[in-house]
Amino acid sequence: MLNIKMLRSEEIAALKLRELYELHGYSFYRMKRFEEYDFYANKKDFLTSKSILTFTDLNGKLMALRPDVTLSIIKGIKNSSDVQKFYYDEKVYRSGKNEKNSFREISQAGIECVMPEKTEKNFNDENICEVIELALLSLETLAKGRKYILDVSNAGLIAELLTREKSSFNPEPEKILKCLAEKNIHELENLNAPDEFIELAKIEGNINDALTKLKNMNLKGAENFADIINSETLRKYHGKINVDFSTVNNLNYYNGIIFRGYIEGIPESILSGGQYDNLMSLMGHKNSRAIGFAVYIDLIEMKGGEND
Amino acid sequence: MINVALPKGRLGERVYKLFEKAGCKIFVQSGFPLNNSKDRRLVFEDENFCSVGVRFFWVKPFDVPIYVERGVADIGASGKDILLERGADIYELLDLKTGYCKMAVAAKNDFKDNPEKILRVATEFPNIAQNYYDKIGREIDIITLRGSVELAPILGLSDVIVDIVETGTTLRENNLGVINTIADLSARLIANKSSYKFKREKINEIIRSLND
Repeated sequence: MLNIKMLRSEEIAALKLRELYELHGYSFYRMKRFEEYDFYANKKDFLTSKSILTFTDLNGKLMALRPDVTLSIIKGIKNSSDVQKFYYDEKVYRSGKNEKNSFREISQAGIECVMPEKTEKNFNDENICEVIELALLSLETLAKGRKYILDVSNAGLIAELLTREKSSFNPEPEKILKCLAEKNIHELENLNAPDEFIELAKIEGNINDALTKLKNMNLKGAENFADIINSETLRKYHGKINVDFSTVNNLNYYNGIIFRGYIEGIPESILSGGQYDNLMSLMGHKNSRAIGFAVYIDLIEMKGGEND
Repeated sequence: MINVALPKGRLGERVYKLFEKAGCKIFVQSGFPLNNSKDRRLVFEDENFCSVGVRFFWVKPFDVPIYVERGVADIGASGKDILLERGADIYELLDLKTGYCKMAVAAKNDFKDNPEKILRVATEFPNIAQNYYDKIGREIDIITLRGSVELAPILGLSDVIVDIVETGTTLRENNLGVINTIADLSARLIANKSSYKFKREKINEIIRSLND
């Protein structure tokens, strides 16, 4: 009989997450630990860390140790109009956030819910709600009684606002996005950014207030965003969901809901994900939809300051 | 209790005065908690400030973003120069409107830029300098120094410097002058992203009291 006590807390957490994803109809996706370097080289913007660990294969080909899982999964999916649901529990190899000159092996679990050929009846808001619910349940599993929060933002709304206000601002979009990510209202004012961005940066707290503010900005995507947040699946989690536009992922890849999860006492976000139809189409799956997230399991042992 | 990292030195003392003005009461003994006192304690508290309580600690100015990013401090006060140089993953919630100065390029008064040559830049802020010259497309040779940067062009170690300019007196007295301003700087209140999720009301209450 296997003695579960000999498992480390990260291992137990990973197993619990796998159980959660299996229960929701996701199947395990096994992938190779390395890919050809070329595969990552032209998608570097998507990777959280730009450095890739490479080595030469026996036939002289330049290979890379996987820095990311999502790209490998997208590469492997078959064209079909069925919704495909995968989960993974893998190691990735990146330079650490705080040590830029060395690589680290990082444990990452997560799910991807993809549909290579879009037909509205198959992939709809329910899939999106389900993935967000799983993100919340993953946080609950890892939090072990501590408080947790899922920050929810929308790349589509940010992109829509950037396009709409294009004529009325001078600053580069990157500067505005950086200010949004930092909740840096004084800098947005210094940049003379349009008021809508300042409003966006101020959104936090009460969900209904946040959704009303968005609605008043007359953004096309706001209604669908509100429908998802207010859906029956997600309504019961309203105390754990925080509409907050400081979550800004790369707008070239993400197009809809994006989110980031936090657990009290862990100083950085432990979960991150979103809808990435744009990435799918960049990888040859036009008109497709996809959403997923990753959980950084190693962080559950990371501690911030003393909490009282 | 909200943990606050303050930078040792003049800027930190100015920021501490802002807290004092907002009603923060620390047991005062021969100038404590300010640095010019004989008291060598590194941590001090006011349990009642803003109804949440604050615990301050002095750290090296360059380290404030680290303490905040890693969550040991929930919030901190840091010069914008250090935030630009380090690029921490934090929230920048408030301009504390103190410690105003500029990040600027300066050179000897008779300096003439020769675009045929690689520009030698001495600085304590290599990332800021690199970003600035990358943007304008100029190839440079960075010389990272730990202080007395003004000396570099005088002795011919570098062509220009990228440094903080407050009043410009040091520059003037050494026959140096500002060529370009890179950024306006002041002290900023920063917060750990995760702490902010769970202590938002408390942190915002502190911000309100500092902003009044």
